[in-house]
Amino acid sequence: MITFDNAGKRFGNLDAVKDFSITIKDGEILGLLGPNGAGKTTLMLMMGTVYRPTSGTISVNGYDVVKQPNEVRKLIGIAFQDPRVDGILSASDVLNWHLKMTTLFDKVERRRRVEDVLKSLDLWEARKKRTWLMSGGMKKKVEDAKILVQRPSIAVFDEPTAFLDVPSRLLVWKMIRQLRDEGSTVIVATNMMDEAERLSERVAIVNKGRLVASETPEQLKGTVKGGEVLELTLNDGSEFKADLLREFPEVHDVKQQDNKIMVFLNSGTLLLPKIVDTLSTRGFKIESVRLKEVSLEDVFLTYTGQRLE
Amino acid sequence: MALRDVSVLFRTPWIIITRGLAFVIQLFVFAYLISGLILVPGLNFFQYYAVGSVVATIASISFVIGYDIFEEAEEGVLDYLLTLPISRRQFIIGRALGGALRAIIYIIPMFLVVAFIEGFAQPLSILSALLSLFLLAFGVTGMSITVAVSVKSANRFDVVLALLELAVSRGSTALYPIAFMPLYVSVFAPFSPVSFAADSARASLVGFSLDLPAIAGLVAFVVVFLGLGAAFYFRRLEGGIYS
Repeated sequence: MITFDNAGKRFGNLDAVKDFSITIKDGEILGLLGPNGAGKTTLMLMMGTVYRPTSGTISVNGYDVVKQPNEVRKLIGIAFQDPRVDGILSASDVLNWHLKMTTLFDKVERRRRVEDVLKSLDLWEARKKRTWLMSGGMKKKVEDAKILVQRPSIAVFDEPTAFLDVPSRLLVWKMIRQLRDEGSTVIVATNMMDEAERLSERVAIVNKGRLVASETPEQLKGTVKGGEVLELTLNDGSEFKADLLREFPEVHDVKQQDNKIMVFLNSGTLLLPKIVDTLSTRGFKIESVRLKEVSLEDVFLTYTGQRLE
Repeated sequence: MALRDVSVLFRTPWIIITRGLAFVIQLFVFAYLISGLILVPGLNFFQYYAVGSVVATIASISFVIGYDIFEEAEEGVLDYLLTLPISRRQFIIGRALGGALRAIIYIIPMFLVVAFIEGFAQPLSILSALLSLFLLAFGVTGMSITVAVSVKSANRFDVVLALLELAVSRGSTALYPIAFMPLYVSVFAPFSPVSFAADSARASLVGFSLDLPAIAGLVAFVVVFLGLGAAFYFRRLEGGIYS
């Protein structure tokens, strides 16, 4: 379990992180969602004992990051946003050295693990290529591979799929889930909505160094009142009355433009059959139905008043 | 960590080969020619220069660790290294030791050539001279780390380190005897750590005698700069100044 208790980090006059409190359970995948400069990397570097918090406390599996940093370092592995690899080393050397430094595996076991991960990430053919000669995507995969091969108790990924193409993104997500299934606690910092939504069991929204909200993606979406939009097109809307649908407690607003009805609601998927039924029994013929669900983008906008770039 | 720094050397063997060749050319062309022009009773300048050039080279190579550390901090590799499960103390000692070992390994082929030129008195002469070189390398590594973690601007860092390298190497008895130096150099040259190492190595190789004051000077240099380097580095890494 990881606990941030009013943790803060101040650089000169700037509060990169302020009064940050959250508890991350064992074996969960937590998404840290926030724009660039929100403080996500600072949070991770404090947890990884690179930065010292200037206020509050952070403990990792009961070890304080300031008082027992050596114990904390044994538990954590961090894959950085920008690949932090010796350019002169090949992918296979980078991973082998990382394993040598972080585990007690013998040479044979290290070689086996490195081969498995490189093959899984489609890097096997390029295993001997020096990393400075690799493309941005390949380097990023090598950075992720360090943690995927290490399999630490607490795996931290900073923007794990930045620079990656779609098949590679799906592959990395799958391998991160496997890591969690094997017992690791996973923290993924991202500014990509789909990544946070698809990968995380819980999303913590971070903005300007503060924790804004922390729930499951579904719970967060539920907090956006009337965030879903149901668009109905009737064959004749002249007799339609908005109050007909306002009787449902999940409906927050109804707007009409000629034959087109827009219903702002929550739990749209569940409510849709009831609305269709209500309109049909009143004699309305429905020509088309379209439901736009709440996205994490809407959630972020609701909580922070700004769009995630 | 020490092994990591040492292995850097072997990843670029062409650097060792070209620098080695440059050393041989410098010795057997430049030093050989110059020694023909310098005729001082009781002094074989070729032999004098041969030892001095090895000592100056090891000092120069030992400064490289500072560039490595500065570059790692700039490129963010230091963040990664600091997340690895090793204590800060081990980290710092490892870096200093790695820098010194790297310099010694680099210099060994050149040193052996010089030892044969000098007609070393006995195997202990070689060990004793190597000890002096190692002490110099360790101290210079500490000095280089001190500068790397104290100076924030890259340009300033380059200038400071280059000046320091020039001062300790050129203002020393490595390449020319103190008797021929202008006054403003001869005042400081006896106190240069490169002078300590050069005098001590010469004493060891020719006739195997220990230059105890020079060795004491080297030990003091190591203690001061390794201590300073470690303290500054530790403070920067654990005290939050680094962040």
